[in-house]
Amino acid sequence: MLKKRVIFTLLYDKGHFMLSRNFSLQKVGNMQWLKKNYNFSHISFSIDELIILDVTREDRNEEIFLEHLRLLNDESFVPIAVGGGIREVDQARKLLHSGADKAVINTLLIEDVGAILEIAEEFGQQCLVASVDVKIINGDFTVWTHNGKVMQNISLNKWLENIATLPIGEVYLNSIDRDGTGHGYLIELIEQIPDLFSIPVILAGGAGKYSHFLEVLQDERVDAVATANLLNFVGDGLKKSRQELLNAEFNLPVWDVNLATDLKNCL
Amino acid sequence: MSIPKVTIIDYGMGNIFSVSSAFKYLGAEVEIVSDPEEILNSSILVLPGVGSFRNAMEFIKERKLDEAIIDAVTKKGVKILGICLGMQLLGSHSSENGKTAGIGLIPNQVERFTSKEVYERKIPHVGFNSLHINEKQGLFKDLPHLADFYFVHSYRMLVGDIQGRYATCNYGVEFLAAYEIENICGTQFHPEKSQTNGLVMLKNFLQL
Repeated sequence: MLKKRVIFTLLYDKGHFMLSRNFSLQKVGNMQWLKKNYNFSHISFSIDELIILDVTREDRNEEIFLEHLRLLNDESFVPIAVGGGIREVDQARKLLHSGADKAVINTLLIEDVGAILEIAEEFGQQCLVASVDVKIINGDFTVWTHNGKVMQNISLNKWLENIATLPIGEVYLNSIDRDGTGHGYLIELIEQIPDLFSIPVILAGGAGKYSHFLEVLQDERVDAVATANLLNFVGDGLKKSRQELLNAEFNLPVWDVNLATDLKNCL
Repeated sequence: MSIPKVTIIDYGMGNIFSVSSAFKYLGAEVEIVSDPEEILNSSILVLPGVGSFRNAMEFIKERKLDEAIIDAVTKKGVKILGICLGMQLLGSHSSENGKTAGIGLIPNQVERFTSKEVYERKIPHVGFNSLHINEKQGLFKDLPHLADFYFVHSYRMLVGDIQGRYATCNYGVEFLAAYEIENICGTQFHPEKSQTNGLVMLKNFLQL
């Protein structure tokens, strides 16, 4: 039986890792901070998947980002999905050859469906994750692209129906309103998923503690939960949350986290 | 014990970077090769791979990598681990694009999942799923009961009448998830993406 997942999302901006609240970004630390003070090599053994989003708004440096992706890959033995500014198959190819297993796209959904088809043709549908940023305005679920700057004139439900016609492997459904608040996932988002939607859904935006994972993972329409909250799950936060979910007999993959240290340079 | 040197075969279709990271984490030395001579001179071979069986075999045959792999494994007793497509390529043939012959180190065949078999489940089979292991020794030593591993595939190897240690996985239909037949090993899943379970298995492989 396929397992559900707890995903950690890293937001990257020109060499720094960011904390986001309602899509406004705050610098937290660089690669060295992530590795040493944040103890990433330890945390990475308590997640089922890693998502790295390059949220750099201007002057993206692709080479340095790829270098950092390779460094993160050295310490995470889980599937890695990477996104941010992917506009053509060539960019996706570089990411997938640097340790990424999946490419996350967002704005490309309105800018160039042809490029989506090309990526799927070369690497398969399973490697495309469509990220969908949602904001509630006057009670309507509106869809935003371009780093949450441009509103699309279409309902969330319809947007998801369109996505279902494309070769997309997963949907990353993110609430801008809850992003970084720690108030919990926007459960109403789940109700907006069309009936018989066949693409796995990752719910994101708002997780602040373990019980937030629990309340949405119970829903069969949610395949995975993601958190980008660097501070709420610092230290043993993710490890404990994961263990609690396993104790509650949630269908997550099982491995011995404590072996990570023993296995390093064990030969 | 001296540090093992792992020779990863690069034929342009592998997730070589991640496979190499995992072996380095364990403390192994890694070299990446795409030349028959280097394959013959190796002591531990890894054949990774993601993508089309036919394209992979065309490339491998064109460079005569298949002959080098067969000689290294059958004449020199070099151990080999095929991962994902690499595991399938070690089989006799695949039903992809009609019928394509594999390297043929083991007799098992590769066929696509049919939607009838997987019953309302999606193809490809993507995500963590559990193994059923016939004997927890060798490649499968020290793994938990129903160990979870990360899979991404639309084709799978048939169990056949396999001799040796092996594991199956169920995705509506039972398929061969991993095998250890003397010095020939394969995993349909990605050990390099399967947390400590995967690292334990790669360590087991190096210590066979």
